[in-house]
Amino acid sequence: MTLLQILKNIVRKHSIHVCYVNTGSCNGCDIEILACLSPRYDIEQYGIYVHNNPREADIILVTGTMSAQWIDKLPDIWDKVPEPKAVIVIGNCPISGCAFDRPGALIDPPVSKHIPVSAVVPGCPPRPTEIISTILNSADILFENYETKTERKP
Amino acid sequence: MGALSYFKEFFRIEWFKKFIAAKTEPLQVPAYFRNFPELTGNECTHCLECKMICPAPGAIDVFQHEDGQWRPQIIRGHCFRCGYCVEICPEEVLTSGGILAKRHEQNLAFTHEYKVLMNSMLCMGCGNCCTACPVNREIEPNMGSGGTSVSTNVLMRVEKGKNTVLHNDLCKGCKICEDTCPNGAVHVIRHVEAIQTGEY
Repeated sequence: MTLLQILKNIVRKHSIHVCYVNTGSCNGCDIEILACLSPRYDIEQYGIYVHNNPREADIILVTGTMSAQWIDKLPDIWDKVPEPKAVIVIGNCPISGCAFDRPGALIDPPVSKHIPVSAVVPGCPPRPTEIISTILNSADILFENYETKTERKP
Repeated sequence: MGALSYFKEFFRIEWFKKFIAAKTEPLQVPAYFRNFPELTGNECTHCLECKMICPAPGAIDVFQHEDGQWRPQIIRGHCFRCGYCVEICPEEVLTSGGILAKRHEQNLAFTHEYKVLMNSMLCMGCGNCCTACPVNREIEPNMGSGGTSVSTNVLMRVEKGKNTVLHNDLCKGCKICEDTCPNGAVHVIRHVEAIQTGEY
């Protein structure tokens, strides 16, 4: 491993830009993400920055049950994210649909059907600590030695 | 010498460490947090109370393991962490946070009943619910295919082309009638009350 690669790994580990997408959730999980920004949890001290712009993001945080209007739009957002990129889904809804997955509901869970998902955070809603630890743990694995990785390149 | 001590004051190692590393204490879940239920080791009697009270579809299931024991299993991604299964379990098979301690402290118990609600506008009297109902089948094994029955002890039967619920108190809350109804006319609702037993 070259010195440049080591430097890149360190920088990527300490600068994770996230963008959150609400695909029709009840706002419970969004409030938990918002709590991560507060001084009690403070995600910026771990080097996680929130930009609500997929073109700036490394990780997309998806909340919500994947309502019918999002079926064509979420893959569009996923295409706009520059490589290296990853999706973390937050809450029960994107994983299974949970309470909303009833006959006659206009939703299409899970999110993994539409875009590739790398990590899930179960809970209704999950704690901010769970969200932060998932982002930190998965980012280490996902973005390390990105240039030399062979799988899933554009 | 004076300049060195001056720099020493302003370039403290602790300051640099604090500047680079995370400042808040390590992320951890407090002990009282009502997390996903875990097994206590008590023997499960396969009464399925936890499965009946669970508000999330498919969040808990009771499986028989290779040693012949029944054990509930929480399916993450479906579970709300509401703790109802922990509270209702008579054998205290599951535990989560401080729920069991609080239940002991306050002598809490749950009474629950299930009600079968029929929408008479949608019901077409096919009798699928009456024949599928396991309680009906136990009381009257010779029930007609149209859901008709001579016995009045059954939970529900078809009378005059409409399904009629005779004994709501017999309902066990399995919701098989809800699944078999082609029109969505049946709804089984849970009515759960927490009561304090004994001295408090």
